[in-house]
Amino acid sequence: MHQTSGPKPVYDYDIVKYFTIGAVVYAIVGFLVGVILALELTFPGLNADIPYITFGRLRPLHTSAVIFAFGGSVLFATSYYIVQRTCRVRLFSDFLSRFTFWGWNLVVVLVVITYPLGLSQGKEYAEPIWPIDLLITVVWVAYFINYVGTLARRQEPHIYVANWFYLAFIITVAMLHIVNNLAIPVNLTDSYPIFSGVQDAMIQWWYGHNAVGFFLTAAFLGLMYYFVPKQAERPVYSYRLSIVHFWALSFMYIWAGPHHLHYTALPDWAGTLGATFSIMLLLPSWGGMINGIMTLSGAWHKLRTDPILRFFIASLSFYGMSTFEGPMMSIKSVNALSHYTDWTIGHVHSGALGWVAMVSFGAIYHMVPRLWGVAIHSTRLINLHFWLATIGVVIYIVAMWISGIMQGLMWRAYDSFGNLSYSFAETVAAMHPYYLIRAIGGIVFLAGALVMAYNVYMTIRGANKG
Amino acid sequence: MSDNQEVSTTGHQWDDEEGYPLQEYNNPLPKWWLYSFYATIIWAVIYWILYPAWPIGNGFTKGVLGWSMHKELREEMDEANAKKKVVNEQLASMPLQEIAKKNDLLQYAISGGKAIFGDNCAPCHGQGGIGSKAGGFPNLTDDDWLYGGNLETIEATITQGRTGQMPAHLKAAGGAFDEAQVNDLTQYVLSFSGRSQDAAASKRGDALFHGEAGCNGCHGDQGNGSLKGTMAGQALPPVGAPNLTDAIWLHGADPVSIRESIAKGRMGVMPAWGKGSKEVGRQLDPLAIKQVTLYVHSLGGGR
Amino acid sequence: MQHATIEKSIPLMAIITLVLVSIGGLVEIVPLFFIKGTIEKVEGMRPYTPLELKGRDIYIREGCYNCHSQMIRPFRDEAERYGHYSLAAESMYDHPFQWGSKRTGPDLARIGGKYSNQWHQAHMLRPQNVVPESVMPAYPWLAKNALDYADIDKRLRALSKVGVPYTEEQIGNAKQDLMAQAMTGGDPAGLTKRYGNKVPKDDFDGHPDKITELDALVAYLQMLGTLVDFSGYQAQTR
Repeated sequence: MHQTSGPKPVYDYDIVKYFTIGAVVYAIVGFLVGVILALELTFPGLNADIPYITFGRLRPLHTSAVIFAFGGSVLFATSYYIVQRTCRVRLFSDFLSRFTFWGWNLVVVLVVITYPLGLSQGKEYAEPIWPIDLLITVVWVAYFINYVGTLARRQEPHIYVANWFYLAFIITVAMLHIVNNLAIPVNLTDSYPIFSGVQDAMIQWWYGHNAVGFFLTAAFLGLMYYFVPKQAERPVYSYRLSIVHFWALSFMYIWAGPHHLHYTALPDWAGTLGATFSIMLLLPSWGGMINGIMTLSGAWHKLRTDPILRFFIASLSFYGMSTFEGPMMSIKSVNALSHYTDWTIGHVHSGALGWVAMVSFGAIYHMVPRLWGVAIHSTRLINLHFWLATIGVVIYIVAMWISGIMQGLMWRAYDSFGNLSYSFAETVAAMHPYYLIRAIGGIVFLAGALVMAYNVYMTIRGANKG
Repeated sequence: MSDNQEVSTTGHQWDDEEGYPLQEYNNPLPKWWLYSFYATIIWAVIYWILYPAWPIGNGFTKGVLGWSMHKELREEMDEANAKKKVVNEQLASMPLQEIAKKNDLLQYAISGGKAIFGDNCAPCHGQGGIGSKAGGFPNLTDDDWLYGGNLETIEATITQGRTGQMPAHLKAAGGAFDEAQVNDLTQYVLSFSGRSQDAAASKRGDALFHGEAGCNGCHGDQGNGSLKGTMAGQALPPVGAPNLTDAIWLHGADPVSIRESIAKGRMGVMPAWGKGSKEVGRQLDPLAIKQVTLYVHSLGGGR
Repeated sequence: MQHATIEKSIPLMAIITLVLVSIGGLVEIVPLFFIKGTIEKVEGMRPYTPLELKGRDIYIREGCYNCHSQMIRPFRDEAERYGHYSLAAESMYDHPFQWGSKRTGPDLARIGGKYSNQWHQAHMLRPQNVVPESVMPAYPWLAKNALDYADIDKRLRALSKVGVPYTEEQIGNAKQDLMAQAMTGGDPAGLTKRYGNKVPKDDFDGHPDKITELDALVAYLQMLGTLVDFSGYQAQTR
């Protein structure tokens, strides 16, 4: 059996701490903006005629804050933590580490300034204007060098499975970001993409779907592959499964984009490829869930006392559910009903809140005591956070299922004469109660994040005093 | 299966800092997982054979079913149209007045008209045709009509559209009168509904109304609009000039709004929905217009 | 090859990953540029006029695509509610495309000409005044902000570089054409000559004396879906 030896390396935990604090702060910002948006849809006019906070300008801020600011910070923090510990070596370059931190946060600040001003490329999840896109590219290259440089200096012969996922994430996101943002500038803030119409649509959703696939799925599976066995103190269930599902996921996810464009002006054949690969993607996606849950099995008794494990098991359950729901929604006939409705919004949130945020919370609670070298301030508060998060997500998803399916059915409802039963405006009015319920779910979820922020703050304060 | 002790770990381990290193069992792939995975692949291959799927050269595989989303739509539309064919032909061939007398046909037409109205007309005229003060969009449920509330006129209004012709009167807005004269006209118009506050001004306005400004040419000598009013005993041209003597005001009943109408004019536009109008892509065919006509007529104000 | 070989080598790991994740995109994207009929042959498509283009920029600035699609699907209910399904040709000059992904509000692909300018003015000022059920925010600033079109020729030039067939004449007369369409000067006959006689010239915002952002946005909305002549259009296998 391989045994590690030699002096313990001096890890760079400071950079992990920075990104962890950033993740906690951006979680609250992202969720808070989401709650504001939910309330704006419930009570139109809530923006008080202030242009900077209209739904159209704020919604990209919400998605970017949650995916790239919160999710991105979690991924930087955990990847830097994991790659050091699984390679038994300090990060490749302290300068590059700090460059990625300040660079990424500069991106976030610029986004927070530009979106409300209406400076946007007009492509979903790729709204940053071209100078910010360039900055993202530079930071990403630095991240790649730093990450690969660390792997190259590893003191372990094998690269641990978590790192395969992070590496695939870094490479693929670079490719997607560059191709989708190719544009010709008009001035310092405005540009026009070089692609148009149907090709631009295909490229956008190739990007958009794989931002989900590699940012929110592959990378967070990497996170899962470290923290779940660590927290459960059990070996990963199946090495073989991890190999097969990693390569299958990497190959198949990238094809799924056209399912966002069913029944549009995108040709039939492309939609077919998107749908069939989405279905074939189900089991590779579930490979991660199986490996996570089977790793936890045998440690079920720990769930009674360890709320962090509860976060992991809940996140894997939501992951399994949304990776089942996704392929189902990619089937053309289901998509005909779900597309353009709140069902999609519900689906995204079961993934982003149920899976991404929950697994991130677990990782943060796992890391913080180890980074600062003290026990967590309150385990009971972790438990409280767990219940607030779970209840919040469930309320949210159920409200969106009902409103989405209802709206889809109302759009295509016919009366006994064979004429449309409802005008569009009538379907909007029918959404109102569910928008309110959704907002409540969001507020409960946000409350949980505030509990986490307090708990993390008190833990750090305790460490600094001690 | 939960704790398979026969299966050993791979022998690799990482990060033993806390005394419990990361290790990996080498459990085989779960059978149900593997077979399900194969099943999805087989499903996909079958799908590719049946449906348009793979791009090749300058074309793509068409699939043996010959399916396309546009063909699917054509079939769906043909089926729906076939069901409606008989009744639609009846509607198309019968004059509006006749349809209105046949209850089952009328109910069918009203259902169709309501569906079209909800998405196309209601944004201006409101759900149920109650109108909107904000843009000066007429209420269709009352008995006050600008161009006429009988079936034929409603049909003509929808088909050809209407454009309001109330000109601006204030010099600053391109008219021919000064502030004082516009105020005088306002007072006179208010006097139709007994609301004038300044008898002298109203008298001066009266003179303008029937004289230099020529308002009676459209609104009539008594101010009761181009439909009912007359000038010197003659019927007025059908220009949609509203009745100024009733309590229904398209652009607001208060003196400020009335003054605004006189000063700056009102050129409300009802778009033309008939085939052949220049805006392509949202036209209504004559049958649809007929149904909307019957629906609007049924709202309460039809006459 | 043993997987151990791959997982011990960063270059192998990285290159195999890169190759695998490239395949799907190449197969799905590249043919769209080559397969005949992907973009249908239709009559009537033209580049946006300068005023419409500015309106489209404002549409993007305000993030309208977050709640409105511009893509009618080939379903019976959508055909009856919105009109003919959208063609790829209809967004061939859209950099970026604005098909959208969510209908919190209705589809806008064929909104052009459907309502009067007055309706758009009232609606943008306070949507609930005309559509009480609406959850759309108000956009009162559009009618107040003067339209900044100093660089409109640069915008046409940039778009021509990425394939929109603007002529030198169109680029050179961009400012004139913009003013002409908003009926505040310029050369209306020139605008018609350059963009066709279907281009509506109007006071889109209800303020005849100035060109506001509302002028541009309404001009854009009023042309959406109006270009292609469907009377002679036959569905093509794609």
